[in-house]
Amino acid sequence: MLLRAESVEVTHAIASAVAGFARAGDVIVLAGDMATGKTAFAQGFGRALGVAEPITSPTFTLVHSYDCGKLTLHHADLYRLERTTEVADLALLELAEFDGIVLVEWGDVARGSFGDHLEVRLDLDPDLADDPAGDPAGDPAGDDVRLIEIEAVGTSWTSRWDRLAAALEPFRC
Amino acid sequence: MLILGIETATAQVSVAIGGHEGVIALFEVARGRRHAEILAPAVEFVCRQADIELDELGVIAVDTGPGLFTGMRVGLASAKALAQALRIPMIGISSLDLLAFPNRHTDRVVVPVIDARKGEVFWAMYRQVPGGLQQVAPPTVGPVDDLVADLLARSQEALCIGDGAHRYREEILDGYHCEIGEDAHPSAAPLVQLAHARALREEWVNPREITATYLRAPDAQINWSTRERRA
Repeated sequence: MLLRAESVEVTHAIASAVAGFARAGDVIVLAGDMATGKTAFAQGFGRALGVAEPITSPTFTLVHSYDCGKLTLHHADLYRLERTTEVADLALLELAEFDGIVLVEWGDVARGSFGDHLEVRLDLDPDLADDPAGDPAGDPAGDDVRLIEIEAVGTSWTSRWDRLAAALEPFRC
Repeated sequence: MLILGIETATAQVSVAIGGHEGVIALFEVARGRRHAEILAPAVEFVCRQADIELDELGVIAVDTGPGLFTGMRVGLASAKALAQALRIPMIGISSLDLLAFPNRHTDRVVVPVIDARKGEVFWAMYRQVPGGLQQVAPPTVGPVDDLVADLLARSQEALCIGDGAHRYREEILDGYHCEIGEDAHPSAAPLVQLAHARALREEWVNPREITATYLRAPDAQINWSTRERRA
């Protein structure tokens, strides 16, 4: 499912909609290049789960955990890792299994190790990004336009997919 | 010689002190999976109640897995820190050995099964020999179906134990007629017993040489073509 976010606020809204259907045990892979909004997605997602403290990028700390009452939101970032055993050492699936939801920035490089998961891929809108002059109309807001593709891997989202798609309908391309 | 045993390879935290007279003290909490919060106070409690000072310890024994990554990290880091601070050697023992050992008085094949999550289990097989147990099938990780196939292939009377055997009781019993024993978690009691036998033979190692047994996919370089492209 391909979505379009005109601003970081829309990215937050999309993340919030996904969070509404997420449940303990979920792993959500956040893919996309630098500065495409992976952390912004995590911020919108965390806020929707009731995380009051600021959500910052865990690039140098690897995993941040936020208590959300019944469950714990774990925000991980694989960017600094070099080897697959380092990913295994983070034990992200264990964190998910024990009443956790795990968001994994750059998780696409190890997607084979996560089993069933949701993959959220964020990209700059190529129509705008490819134009060296930026938005032809000179609108600086063009820099904020993101394409967000959401795909379920495995069956863990099958029963939720239709409702998720309905909730995200307003953001469809 | 006094041995402190630390075991955190499953949801349980288990700490024991043992010596030539056997297990002197044992403390276990099997609920909550709060390894980091429970372990250090548990060590302090066991020492205090047994009236043993840390500097009386001669060896730190630790369960090296396989099991929960999140638990083993806490146990191994704490055990190594203690051994280094006290300048004493360590003995590492497999969680599967620890589950099997208390069930050594049976003619059946003893099969410790530890939950590996994602529908998989860790298991190994042991048989009684004079003086203890001998491993007859090495530690393996795989889906529960693979364990059942392994049991079928051997077609021997088997006793399955461990949290994996409990979690997947139906699947195992549907596939193979065997007994599921009560023991759910490896304990620090057999850890200090087994470690004592090894300590008598001076089979200990430097803390640096102790590593966790994960039995997971082989290590590989992460393919960072996306990151390199941007950099």
